[in-house]
Amino acid sequence: MKKALLFLMALLIGATSWAYVDDALSFAYEAASPYVKKGFNVREDAWGGDLGVKDQQAVQAQLFKGNEYWFCLGTDVKGAVLSVSVYDSKGNIVNVETTRAGRLSAVRVEPPRTGTYYAIVTVHKSPKERTGWALVYAYK
Amino acid sequence: MPIILNATIAAYFLAVAIPLHAQKPPEAVDLSSFPAQAIDDVLVPVPSEIFIVLDKLGNPNWRSELRDSLGRQSGNRAQVALLLGTVIAEGFVAVEAEDPEKVKDIGRRVLTLSKAINVEKAVLERSKSITDKAEVKDWISVRKEFDGALQDVKAAMQELGDDDLAQLVSVGGWIRGTEVLTSIIRKNYTADSAELLHQPALVNFFTKKLDSLSNKRLAEDDLVERIRKLLAAITPLLGNGEGEVIPSENVTRIHKMTRDTVAAISSKGA
Repeated sequence: MKKALLFLMALLIGATSWAYVDDALSFAYEAASPYVKKGFNVREDAWGGDLGVKDQQAVQAQLFKGNEYWFCLGTDVKGAVLSVSVYDSKGNIVNVETTRAGRLSAVRVEPPRTGTYYAIVTVHKSPKERTGWALVYAYK
Repeated sequence: MPIILNATIAAYFLAVAIPLHAQKPPEAVDLSSFPAQAIDDVLVPVPSEIFIVLDKLGNPNWRSELRDSLGRQSGNRAQVALLLGTVIAEGFVAVEAEDPEKVKDIGRRVLTLSKAINVEKAVLERSKSITDKAEVKDWISVRKEFDGALQDVKAAMQELGDDDLAQLVSVGGWIRGTEVLTSIIRKNYTADSAELLHQPALVNFFTKKLDSLSNKRLAEDDLVERIRKLLAAITPLLGNGEGEVIPSENVTRIHKMTRDTVAAISSKGA
């Protein structure tokens, strides 16, 4: 009985986590939608998770010199302030343009070299202890 | 909320968006200070991310890169997953070649291979959509559908507890994509085009995944073992540092290795 309850609780917690990642993902796709009109291809694959206030998560990306990218970040938490910045493998920033509006943030990158880059997601403030986020990117 | 309305709202908000002065990011960060769990794995790029750079650098003959045969499948799940990856990658080549018949053929083959590993339902809609959009030559949408098919297949495999198999689909796609990339570069070598091969994080990611397959049968599969050796052999040829020139000899060697591996995957195994 106890085991069944634990299993049920785990299922519920799992379902809740997926729900907020899904919501955050919807906002990330919203952040990317203006760039589709500018000829960018938005990837179907995405990164996501949840972070505490002031926490950071880095995601690795293989970028190609000659392409232009928009990294688009969304969150499910109203009032939360998140940002994304992109750094090369030596830790130097490569952001070209950054925008933020409500739950959406985006950064444009024109990689000076082909190689590994790191998109760093930061939760600056949030009314919640944990803040769901999702990051997608678009390229052209 | 309808997607069009969402897009309109997003466009409005971004139009009035302000630069992030309030949270100006640091000009440099110490990446070594990030704990391992705070660094997510690399997302595997789809072949078109590289192909469109090649389009900018020159005018590749994409039709000549298309294979006549999409390979034969066996009862070996590892081979089917790898083959599926190569076929989806072929879809991206066919989009570049703007060949509707080949795209439709590939869409059907994706469905057949997905059926062989029980993930047919996940790509049924995608396959239909690929055919419909190829018919009207909506290449941007077809490209998106192939990306979506890849993600759907992998998600369906993960749902079935077959995460190992999902990794093999990615690896198969990367190998075929690299075969095509090196084929084009070596025909008109420039240091800029060869730089596209500098993908250390990806090779490292695939190596790590193949070394940690939980399914013993897959881990010991002959094709998987062959790919482990391929990745080990390719690593030193991709350039150690950013901006390091990858010589044409390396491009030719990588091409030969990936071509032979795709041939092995496509002919019912090693």
